[in-house]
Amino acid sequence: MITIDKLCYNSKLRYENAGEKFAFAVITLCICVMSRSISVACIVLAATGILTVYKGGIPASRYIKYLTAPLAFLLLSTIAIMFQVSRTPLDLFAIPVGGWYITSSTDSFHYAVQLILTALGAVSCLYFLSFTTPMPDILEVLRKLHVPALMIELMLLIYRFIFVLLHVASSISISQDCRLGNKDYKTALKSFGMLGSVLMVRAVGRSNRLYDAMEARCYDGRIRVLSESRPPKKKVICWIAAFDTVLFLFAVWRRWLI
Amino acid sequence: MSKRQKRIIMLAAVFALSFGIGPAANAMHIMEGYLPGGYCIAWGVLCVPFIIAGFMSIKKKLAEHRNLITLLAMSGAFVFVISSLKIPSVSGSCSHMTGTGLGAILFGPSAVSILGLIVLLFQALLLGHGGLTTIGANTFSMAIAGPFVSYGIYTVCKKANVNRKVSVFLAAALGDFFTYCVTACQMALAHHADTTIGGALVKFLAVFAPTQIPLAIIEGILTVVIVMGLESYAKPELKAIGFLKEAK
Repeated sequence: MITIDKLCYNSKLRYENAGEKFAFAVITLCICVMSRSISVACIVLAATGILTVYKGGIPASRYIKYLTAPLAFLLLSTIAIMFQVSRTPLDLFAIPVGGWYITSSTDSFHYAVQLILTALGAVSCLYFLSFTTPMPDILEVLRKLHVPALMIELMLLIYRFIFVLLHVASSISISQDCRLGNKDYKTALKSFGMLGSVLMVRAVGRSNRLYDAMEARCYDGRIRVLSESRPPKKKVICWIAAFDTVLFLFAVWRRWLI
Repeated sequence: MSKRQKRIIMLAAVFALSFGIGPAANAMHIMEGYLPGGYCIAWGVLCVPFIIAGFMSIKKKLAEHRNLITLLAMSGAFVFVISSLKIPSVSGSCSHMTGTGLGAILFGPSAVSILGLIVLLFQALLLGHGGLTTIGANTFSMAIAGPFVSYGIYTVCKKANVNRKVSVFLAAALGDFFTYCVTACQMALAHHADTTIGGALVKFLAVFAPTQIPLAIIEGILTVVIVMGLESYAKPELKAIGFLKEAK
């Protein structure tokens, strides 16, 4: 039901050490966001794209579809940044409307392009992480980073319950569809409300039964799961360190030395 | 058809298209990489006290009643699932609830701040909504500001003996609306290329208004329907959730 989750379990990079992938994605992301330069964003986009699609074996069409998903948000907010309504026309173009102009300057155009590319580069880093690393592995990394145990436990349980509840929700909505539950707008609203409340009832029932089951298996406030250990490879670490250092130096050079 | 008419039709088509795409931009997650580094850190730091307070209250509650952990986790998953389901929308395109207003009414604002943080992390990693660097800003607008307003309105209405349906509607719709305003503020603060912050704010508000205001109203209606459904079918379950709410 959650496509990204399915795809990441099939990724060829799945069995690499999770810490390496996490470090690569987060450090690259930080450099990309901090530098805000067009060239850095393009390099990042290319590097993570190649890694995810070519090395990871994610279908390119799927990858592109996901990469363009936030485009609607990007488009709307770029409109707000680029266009101005003012009495004096600016240098890029100006459309007269009555006594006013809908206008834009070259500077803000440049700013908008830079923003769009940075955002896409950053999203590609995020997708590298989520298309190659299953959630339990990410949680394992977070545990090593000393995130409080309670948070990790909650996240582990929530991750599991999401799929349980999604399954329940999808079967409810299929049966609502069968019974003409979405035949017009008013019924659709009512059906959605019923779905929500039944889902809550089911969720509470499930959680009680699950707690009983955990109690029966000697739950003492801590859920222990086996984690497969895949030791980090020296070669990969060297590559990541080299790539990020070069990228960082390049970003610094673009930002301050030009 | 004259040239002028053609141009008008073209323009209308472009407008219709852009609004058709619009509502797919769901519940105002600021996307990854959209805010400059400094702002990401600043919003993150602003969230920390709320998160710590929420964490402490949950921890204290769990120390007393350990069986609440599964209920708490189910609630988090519930908020995630509700916000990932397509809701019926007028234009036929897909849009989503934030679910945090409902969460705040059911579970109280302190629990929602922690659950919201986790849900936003999962939304970023599993659905590609929002992002890792913008998680601070998103947490502030969707898991802290919105729910606190919802909860405040709900409590005030309850004290003033307003009709329950009306108070639930107001809480959810205004909470959603406030989330949208806060998000617009966050973006205006970060990006005001050649206007003042105020000008940028007005522009961001205007651009997102056509999608967000109907969404807030729909969210309000749906929350009323869900809460009414729960009250008629699920009195014992609501009592169980009441435990979570006392954790303040």
